[in-house]
Amino acid sequence: MPIMKRKQKVSDEIPTASLADIAFLLLIFFLTTTVFNEEKGLPIVLPEQSEEQDVSPKNLIFFIVQSDGRVIVRRGESEQEQTVSYNQVEGILRAELAQNPNLIAAIQTDPRAAYRHMVNVLDEVKLAGAERISLQELEN
Amino acid sequence: MAIKSGGFRRKSGAESEIPTASLADIAFLLLIFFMVTTVFRKEKKRTIEWVEANATEKIDEKRKNILHIWIERDGAVYINDVLTPFDQISEVVRPIYADNRELVVAVRGDRDVPYAQINTITEELQEAGAVRVTFATRLEQRAMRARR
Repeated sequence: MPIMKRKQKVSDEIPTASLADIAFLLLIFFLTTTVFNEEKGLPIVLPEQSEEQDVSPKNLIFFIVQSDGRVIVRRGESEQEQTVSYNQVEGILRAELAQNPNLIAAIQTDPRAAYRHMVNVLDEVKLAGAERISLQELEN
Repeated sequence: MAIKSGGFRRKSGAESEIPTASLADIAFLLLIFFMVTTVFRKEKKRTIEWVEANATEKIDEKRKNILHIWIERDGAVYINDVLTPFDQISEVVRPIYADNRELVVAVRGDRDVPYAQINTITEELQEAGAVRVTFATRLEQRAMRARR
């Protein structure tokens, strides 16, 4: 019977040559579309609860953040006050730190002031390179 | 001359093709490996307006060591998707901190939240003993001011 002996021309194998391409394509697709949400921010270490230090007033500089975002600068010893906008804080603090590297930047914020005003000042203080920062709520 | 036909025409017995049959297996293995090892954070995103800062740093800490505290504009505080009253923050944070001493608390506050609320949170965190805090910020978008 000639029909039975006829050789089949269609390949009975699944073509696997492009499988690697498909797999790598998927791999690269997922690698490039994955977004890692990085943690970013301004780090600060709060003092322990019981920890209270006595600081000599000459090592202090106060940045008092008003509810409208203006900043009052007061050097620890003197009663002299100076009202500035927040973007001047960096320059002021940098000059003070050059004279006294032990200076503590105390940020006192009005409780009604928006969070962003306090962060603006903290940002400036960080940019000035201050290592010793204190965060307080303005009393009265 | 002994060699007439020349060495160039001699058929080499070695296979000159790179075997690609197992390439698909390797690629799928990699794919499955990355799929299995990827961990997704379950926490829901809150809608807040971020504060911006030029001094924004990348926090080099493992994800499992970071606890987010969200403060929405209306003053609602969320920790791990749970609405938490202000006076209970320390009670919520204390056991988390006890489990993981490396804990860093990322305060994600809306830019218009009054500072009094942020201050309450830092006080509560001090009470819980979690003193490593970051104020989560975005890098300031507008052009950096000229320095000096």
